[in-house]
Amino acid sequence: MNLRDPESMNAIVGNVLRYGVILSAITVFFGVILLASANGASDSSGALQYYPSQVPHGDFPVSFQALYNGLASFSSFAWIELGVIFLIATPVSRVLISVFLFAAERDRLYVAITAVVLALLLFSMLLTPFIPLFQG
Amino acid sequence: MVIIEFLIIVFLASIFAGVFGSIVGLGGGVVIIPVLTILLGVDIHFAIGASIVAIIGTSSGAASTYVRDKVTNLRVGMFLELGSTSGAITGAALAAYTNSAALKIIFGSILLVTVIPTLMKIGEDIPKSPELKGLSKQLGLKGSYLETDGSLVKYNADRPVAGLAGTAVAGVLSGLLGIGGGGFKVLSMDLAMRLPMKVSTTTSNFMIGVTAAASAGIYFVRGDVDPLIVAPVALGILIGAAIGARILMRSRNPTVRKAFALVLAVTAAEMILSALGVIS
Repeated sequence: MNLRDPESMNAIVGNVLRYGVILSAITVFFGVILLASANGASDSSGALQYYPSQVPHGDFPVSFQALYNGLASFSSFAWIELGVIFLIATPVSRVLISVFLFAAERDRLYVAITAVVLALLLFSMLLTPFIPLFQG
Repeated sequence: MVIIEFLIIVFLASIFAGVFGSIVGLGGGVVIIPVLTILLGVDIHFAIGASIVAIIGTSSGAASTYVRDKVTNLRVGMFLELGSTSGAITGAALAAYTNSAALKIIFGSILLVTVIPTLMKIGEDIPKSPELKGLSKQLGLKGSYLETDGSLVKYNADRPVAGLAGTAVAGVLSGLLGIGGGGFKVLSMDLAMRLPMKVSTTTSNFMIGVTAAASAGIYFVRGDVDPLIVAPVALGILIGAAIGARILMRSRNPTVRKAFALVLAVTAAEMILSALGVIS
């Protein structure tokens, strides 16, 4: 595999997308199996209750600590959320790889454009949830 | 309704959403949101959170096929993504200070009006490509792809600044309302930049995943991404998008345009009706 060759870089992008999507689907499916085997016949309304005045607005783990504990105890919701996080990461890894793709083509302009897009994406995804201006 | 039933209904609806969403480049939220809110009585916030996951799933699920067949234009997509991501951040910051019902009526009406120029080009197979000049030339906004009959279609992009402005509006909409962005992205590439329809929808398909990922963090931390809902959405949409991507590669531009015009009209109607309180 030659990292300077645009063709093989293109193949890498395709593989990262494919394996990222498969990893996400397998993880979510594992969570669904846990959910269906433990609570499949329970009423769905409890897990669909929206609580406007509290954060998180639903009854499921979102913090790093809660997710970690949930995964360790094989909580169905924690495994599903982990799969969703893998899915959210696929477009990010695609933009990241595109920086190297354009570098392989020695296209400095697009290395710069893609780096700016990546910076905006990471800022928006990871930092804005914790800035009060964006919490309305 | 018991959990198993809920999972199966949402899974089947999501397959359908993934097929359509990947062909037209809008992501599938247009199907997912009304199924969840109207049919299943789910809260609109959870429905929008699920729509974000559906958009990312459509984008990544279809993309490996499009990358292999090289119909997505990565340069056009990345250039326009400058407008769309910065627009999305601006929209998210403005969300607390704006009236979303009024915005939905305004932008829904704009989308509805744009159905007309889309329909006027309905028979167009390969657009007459403009000469590569100015900013388009400096940015290398050109490309080629293999048509279904085996011919190589070469094209150049027109009016990149207008395209960038259109996708910035698309980004603001995604950040503000969580919906409607994909329509403006395809329209920017189709009407302003005059790219072949398949290039517009597949490049939009790449872009919507990036823009949705940009706002995913905030929805996740807020607790709008309900695992019971997004599990069947993610699985169904990935299967649907893989099917849709294969259908798209075997379709000609006029067919794709018809599907796009239909979904665009439904999206616009949904935005207006939800603002008027007719549907939740």
